[in-house]
Amino acid sequence: MTVPEAFAKGLAFYLMMAIGLKGGVEMSKNALSFDVIAIFVAGIAMSFAIPFIAFRLLRATSNLDTVNAAAAAAHYGSISIVTFVAATEAVRLSGFESSGHLVALAALMETPAIISALLLVQRQDGAQAVAGAERGELLREVLLNASVVVLVGALIIGWVIGEEGNTKIAPFFVSPFQGVLCLFLLDMGLSAGRGLRQGWRQLDAATIAFGLYMPLVSALIASVVCALLNVGPGDATLFITLSASASYIAVPAAMRLALPKAQPSVYLTLSLGLTFPFNVTLGIPIYTFLASLVT
Amino acid sequence: MNTKQRIELIIERMAYKRAGRIFEAEGAMGYTVLPAMAGFGNGNRWSRDTDISGSRDMVMIISINDPETAQKILDQLRTLLDEHIGVVSVSTVEVLRPERF
Repeated sequence: MTVPEAFAKGLAFYLMMAIGLKGGVEMSKNALSFDVIAIFVAGIAMSFAIPFIAFRLLRATSNLDTVNAAAAAAHYGSISIVTFVAATEAVRLSGFESSGHLVALAALMETPAIISALLLVQRQDGAQAVAGAERGELLREVLLNASVVVLVGALIIGWVIGEEGNTKIAPFFVSPFQGVLCLFLLDMGLSAGRGLRQGWRQLDAATIAFGLYMPLVSALIASVVCALLNVGPGDATLFITLSASASYIAVPAAMRLALPKAQPSVYLTLSLGLTFPFNVTLGIPIYTFLASLVT
Repeated sequence: MNTKQRIELIIERMAYKRAGRIFEAEGAMGYTVLPAMAGFGNGNRWSRDTDISGSRDMVMIISINDPETAQKILDQLRTLLDEHIGVVSVSTVEVLRPERF
């Protein structure tokens, strides 16, 4: 069974709009402070740094070559907006509060990892490993992809309209949110199952294990960062989740432009077939627990 | 009726704009991009409805040109296909209104 493509993309669009609006509304109630700026800087640094760690682990333990390892590593430095959305619901149900600024951080953490992947390949194999001179197209794909534009746009709109404006659109963007999330997670689960069924044979045991342990490695690093920053348990949970998640929407598309010789069956099986279901089922509860320990 | 060369390029969706620039730069009067539904190649199966990123989607580009233009396009496509997933085929076709190609 497959969910029609346009419908699935519509659901994704709705979820990004809704979470962006929610984050913007929350931001309108909480001023930008030094602590928030510190989280932003930490998040961007994580997005840059995690690919280097992931790359080293993959090269040391698996049979992936430089290009495939770099492409896979880029996914783990970036974020999964769907995992983040699921985590925001988990935070709300846990009774924690979040400031809304983490939605902006989600947008900021999408792209630095892609730059790290390009640097990794250039360092190892030289500039020839990076496709063509189509930097403008890659830059547009990286900075202006649908996820970033919708998220940031909705964030700004939510910040401008505030709680008063949010009340008027709540029947469309707030009340149905959980139901839409259920439908979307159903579709993502089907995609993850298909991806895993088709792709797992191309991965060795070490690479498969990476898909399961790398989120935990990132989560532990992010937990240490949260311990050093002045964040509440809600924001810490979201920060850890962002760090531990792996992209399967924006980065795969960017990788086809930046590192076309990398095999999608490797990085998509990892990020979508292994890491995404792990994070949604076991990861988020673990990250919530870690956040409560360090805050 | 007049004889022309029809180029059919099946290439990954993320690369179709690059391919389009090649067609335009080498003098093609036009081309059409069609979405592909599903496929199999190099041991991998893919389908449009199964990947929300669309990063594995494929498209077909059809362009009809005179032989000299077609050869120049093919020379450039060779480089593109070294980097991206795809195949190209060329066939001889008869067309009405040759001035359109």
